[in-house]
Amino acid sequence: MKNFRLTSNRMLLSHPKSFILLTLLALALALIGRTLHAQENSLAKEDLACLTCHDKAGLEKKLTNGESLSLQISTQAYTESMHKGASCEDCHSDLNAKTHGKTKADIKSKRAFSLNMRESCRTCHEKKFTEYEGSVHAALITQGSKKAPLCSDCHNPHTLRSTRIIGPITDTPCAKCHADIFQAYSKDVHGLDRIANGKAAPLCANCHQAHGVKAASLGDGVKDACLSCHKNAVALHKDWLPNAALHFEAISCPVCHAPNAERRVNLRLYDGTAKRQVAEKTGVPKFEKRTDAADTGNSGLDERALWSLLKEFNQDGGDGKMVLRGRLEVRSGVQAHQLSEKSKAIRDCNTCHKQGAAAFQSVTLTIAGPDGRPLRHGIQKDVLNSLTSMDSVRGFYAIGSTRIKLLDTLLVLVLLGAVCVPLGHMTIKRLFKNMREKLEAERAAAPVQAASQTTPDAQHTDDDVSK
Amino acid sequence: MHKLYINPLPVRIWHWTNALGFVLLIATGLQIRYLDLIQVLSFRTAVVTHNWIGFVLIANFFVWLGFYLFTDKIKVYHPELSPTKYFRASWRQIQYYGYGIFRGDPNPHHPNAYLKFNPLQSMMYQIIMMLLVPLQFFTGVLLWDVTRFASMVETFGGVRVVDTVHVLLFILFSGFIIVHVYLSSLGHTPTAHFKAMITGYEEIEDEPEAGGS
Repeated sequence: MKNFRLTSNRMLLSHPKSFILLTLLALALALIGRTLHAQENSLAKEDLACLTCHDKAGLEKKLTNGESLSLQISTQAYTESMHKGASCEDCHSDLNAKTHGKTKADIKSKRAFSLNMRESCRTCHEKKFTEYEGSVHAALITQGSKKAPLCSDCHNPHTLRSTRIIGPITDTPCAKCHADIFQAYSKDVHGLDRIANGKAAPLCANCHQAHGVKAASLGDGVKDACLSCHKNAVALHKDWLPNAALHFEAISCPVCHAPNAERRVNLRLYDGTAKRQVAEKTGVPKFEKRTDAADTGNSGLDERALWSLLKEFNQDGGDGKMVLRGRLEVRSGVQAHQLSEKSKAIRDCNTCHKQGAAAFQSVTLTIAGPDGRPLRHGIQKDVLNSLTSMDSVRGFYAIGSTRIKLLDTLLVLVLLGAVCVPLGHMTIKRLFKNMREKLEAERAAAPVQAASQTTPDAQHTDDDVSK
Repeated sequence: MHKLYINPLPVRIWHWTNALGFVLLIATGLQIRYLDLIQVLSFRTAVVTHNWIGFVLIANFFVWLGFYLFTDKIKVYHPELSPTKYFRASWRQIQYYGYGIFRGDPNPHHPNAYLKFNPLQSMMYQIIMMLLVPLQFFTGVLLWDVTRFASMVETFGGVRVVDTVHVLLFILFSGFIIVHVYLSSLGHTPTAHFKAMITGYEEIEDEPEAGGS
């Protein structure tokens, strides 16, 4: 047996191919070793000192609320991260090296820790942080949300990779909170394209912005995002769509490009003077209070209630410029992410321009809430077809489907009148026919009679002359 | 009976173009507005056709306006600026259509080349041509491209108000066309006025001579 092993080893070493393989293996191992060594070398002594303790599996801290905060930081992941150039102290400057690990620091919760730590992000990422502060996420936090994302919820500071590195779409942090929307996205035209072609297709942040994210149903930010990639969209629509610019203004893209989505009319309360959507002020909940008071039956505001509500808001502003701007949109964020291929988009005008079209069966009134999310209240769908709401919804009109019903009645009455008056006139003429003929005969006879009466006189005169 | 050249060629061209155009505008307008009831044309075809005819009629309007502004025939619309005479003549004309015509009374209006319209026609056509038709064209142009004319649309009360004015005028013109055709048949023969608008010559009944003088 021993002889066999020796023989085999000799054969192995003597075989040229095996020798090359072994050499390559040795080189690879040496390279890995050097790389690891280089990574460690790229860190400062102080940082290495931190990682000596923190790169240990299972290192964690019990927090006041009972949660466990992992304190483990992988040296390899950290040295490959975007923060490899930063030292631990850049972010954790509050730690005292002399007391760290020796005294017990109370941390209430993971959330409280992240909230506290985000200020260190601001130091280097001032611009992004300012964008974030204007976002719906930051507004939610100000309103006391326990779920709205903080910096570290989307960006793990110790493993953060470059956005140039394309990971699987499931790595997208947005999916953690918006799972249902992300599911829809991953199956729609953009999601499938992203999976197949990578960065050429948009991911969440491409349309919604990563830091300055706003509620998609407020403003036109998302539409602008669509047009930033689909630059010739307006021109292409103008080729076949009459009043294309108005369609772009009054209809959100998914209304036609998510053909199976449910649609609704969104009447946005708009400040005509300031040219922006009206927003509820923090701590002054006028919208809910007023809409609830006006909608006693909880069946949606009717035209009268809507008019009164607008009047109230106008009195607040004092300049009488609060108006409603209508927009057709899909009913949920999930449906907005069910975009289909271009060939399946709705091109049939009947979908919307027909009385009773599904899109106009649901109407909602919207104002921007103090947390940056929309506040809504239902409106009775008949408001769109009423003459009395002509002023309230002056800025929204879809031919056919939101036509004023009273004008239909007027058309029928005028046409009936226009037909009946001549028919009546003709009938009376016919009834008077005998009388007319009799009178005409009398008139025809009258000059003859007059002539016959004048002739003897004339003769008489002649006679007189002859005499 | 004698013939009088009462409808010059430009007026006849304008009239029949206008008539055909308005009928087509009403038809396509009905298709656009009542897609749930009428499906002769697709919505898009109806809209595009409606827009094109609208622009043709706007150009045609200027044929009418140019003819009357640059010829002395403008007198047919205001032969005499005397309100008293005008209202008396109007009353006589109303009496004729409402009563005299049934008795076979002669039409109190005796046309000539500068007195083409009876007072009711004169007033009605001036309102239509100088107010209602331009207003219809104006609202039509605003609705043709609401975004381009957004500030003007807003000044007039919003797209819903502009559309309502457009539809109200459409209803009025629809009724007018029917009544206009009927009134045109009330000449000395049912086709007399139609022929006059084709040939230009109106057949005028000779007035009975007074007392052989």
